[in-house]
Parts: sequence; structure tokens; C-alpha cells
Amino acid sequence: MNKKITLALLLTVSASAAFAGPIEEQIRWRQSAYSYLSWNTSKIKKQVVDSPETFNKDYVAAAANAIAAVANSGLGELYGEGTDKGIGWQESRLKPEFFQKKEEVKTIANSFNIAANELAKVAATGDAATIKTAFGKVTETCKSCHDLIRVKKE
Amino acid sequence: MKTTIHIWDLPLRLFHWLLAASVIAAYVTAKLGGELMDWHGRLGIFILGLLLFRIVWGFIGSTHARFSSFFPTFGRVRTYLRGQWQGVGHNPLGAFSVLALLSAVAVQIGTGLFANDDIAFEGPFYHFINKSLSDQLTGWHSLLFNVLLGLVVLHLLAIIFYRWVKKTNLVKPMLTGKKDIPTSLAFELAQQQHTHGVGAFRLIISLLLSSTIAWGVAGGVEKFFPAQAAAPQPSTSSNADF
Repeated sequence: MNKKITLALLLTVSASAAFAGPIEEQIRWRQSAYSYLSWNTSKIKKQVVDSPETFNKDYVAAAANAIAAVANSGLGELYGEGTDKGIGWQESRLKPEFFQKKEEVKTIANSFNIAANELAKVAATGDAATIKTAFGKVTETCKSCHDLIRVKKE
Repeated sequence: MKTTIHIWDLPLRLFHWLLAASVIAAYVTAKLGGELMDWHGRLGIFILGLLLFRIVWGFIGSTHARFSSFFPTFGRVRTYLRGQWQGVGHNPLGAFSVLALLSAVAVQIGTGLFANDDIAFEGPFYHFINKSLSDQLTGWHSLLFNVLLGLVVLHLLAIIFYRWVKKTNLVKPMLTGKKDIPTSLAFELAQQQHTHGVGAFRLIISLLLSSTIAWGVAGGVEKFFPAQAAAPQPSTSSNADF
């Protein structure tokens, strides 16, 4: 259900800009959300991929739940008209093409939601191998979106 | 009269084809991302090992593998430009190509060690520098890959040019290690140059040296300098208070 809400919000970005507040605020919340995501992916990476001997089921499950919570929070709302320019915590790195590529982004956002919820589901079982695969699926969707609409630092 | 000589030794040929294969694999894994980024990192370390091996082998390998035998010195380049260069290994232009390709690979390794992808990849030296510098190096890592790609294209075009215009097959010697040259030239070279074979001892030294360094780098050096590599350890639920 939450997935559908995300999609609906993505579809009505211009309208949702009104809910999400001024441009700078949207960018700031957006950047905060992804920073928080990054903290949680790094926890899973550490205990599932880099140092499997440190694997702690509850710790990883908590991180996976946090990732799913961010994915389900309706991030699309923070991509209002004009948010490709402006400074949140730092300069926005949203490509202006985003606004022409919303359909593609929507597909990726949907895969991200599915992958994140799947990760949370398998994390609850505590099976490291399955978690690793599910985690890889999540990071794949991160990359697809970065490649499409995120400005590269060069 | 033609004589068949040994030109590229087996370690050198293995290095060449393994490098080509691993660079392709590294490119593909980076493009696909996800779980494959782990393999991208492993391939980077493997390529570092190959590169180190090639450098060491450039000093203690067999004759035509040695930098001293093909380094494009001023004199050699001048002779080559006058069309008087004679030899069987890398000619001075080829030598520039070899050195440029190796340097471009070195740049990829050097930047990749400090890189991060803002998702779940961090190079083994990422924690030695700050995030914005790592982001900068990551940008160069992807931008400068194009330089490597350009050099590879030139490399392939040169092979095609030699095949069709100069009627020389460069690929076969890189596969078999053997090359047919005029007997007179072979005789002349044998008189001029002191030749070196592969040498088991020198090979073992090269392999040990390159694999040890690559292994050390893969460990993020923290095995040796734990204080400096104090990466923030995420707390586990067992010792987190809230």
C-alpha cells in the first residue's frame, strides 16, 4: 500500500511541492534521508559482506528495517519542481533531466521499494547469505537511479 | 631466411591476457553494480597485483620484458623517426603505448583505492582521506577511465594497421611467444644484446613481491598500522545503549 502512495506522490510532484515545503527544505530532507540510508547500508555491508564474522542478526535486521522505512516514507514528495537547483545541506545533485525522466525514475523507485521491503523480510530470518543477495538487489537500484538522475562529481 | 625466436615470455603473456580480461571484467562489474561491486573491488586488487608484477618483471624479467630494452630514449626515438630502428621487441612508438597503458591502469588503481560509490563500496584506503576528496577521486576514476579506453582503442587500431598495412601479425607472438624474424637480424641482435631468460628465482621473487603488496593493500593496511586506519566501527546492538 505504501508503495502505491510513493508512486502517487511521484506522479504529482508539482502538487506535492506544496506539502513538502520550500525547495531548500525538500532538498535538505532528501539529503538527510539518503544520508540515513547510507548509514544503514554501511552497517549491513560491514556485517554481511566485509566482516561476516561480526554478523549480528538483530543489528542487521534493525538496519534493514530502517532502510525499508525510508524507502516506504514517500521520498517522491521531496522531488518538487525546481529542486534540481538549490542548497540543502549541500548543493542539490539532482539532474534537471529528472523532470523529463519521471517515468523511468518511477520504475526504479518501485524496484527500490520492493527490494528494500524484501531485504527487511529476509533480514528478520537472520540468514546471512539470503540477506547478502537481497542487499545486492537494493544497492543495484541505488545505482540505477544515481546513473540516471544524479549529478556526478568530476 | 627466417628464424623463429622467443620474444614474449610466458609470464609476460599471461600478464597481458589476464590484464585485458580483468580490465573488461572490472568495467562490466562497475556498470552492473549491486553485489558485483564486491567483485569490482577484488578485480582492482588483482589488477594491482598484475601491475606490480609487470613493473618488477620490467627489471628482472626476460630480455624483451625489460624496460631497459625498450624504454623510448631520445636516441631510440630519433633512430625510429629516421626509419633506421631495428629490433624485435617493442619499437619506440610501441614502448610509448605500453607505458601509457600501464600508467592509465595505474591511475585507475590509484584512484580506485580511495574511491567510494555513495552506496556500499569503499576502496581499501577510503578511510585515510576525507569524504569530499574521496568523491573527487571517484569522479576522476570514472572520468579517466575514458583515457584508458582511448588508449586501448589505439592499441587495437595499431594491431589492425600492422596486420593489414604492414602485414605483420602482432597477436600471434602474444599468444605463442614466438616470432619469425630475418636470420640476419637475429644474428645481429644476438651479438649486440646480452639476453636474459625467464629464470625461476627471478620469477618467484616477482610473484612474491607483487602478491604480497597487493595482499597488504587489500587488507587496508590496518593489519600493519591499526592506529592510523581507525575506521569508525559501527556499534553493534550488544554495546549500543539506545
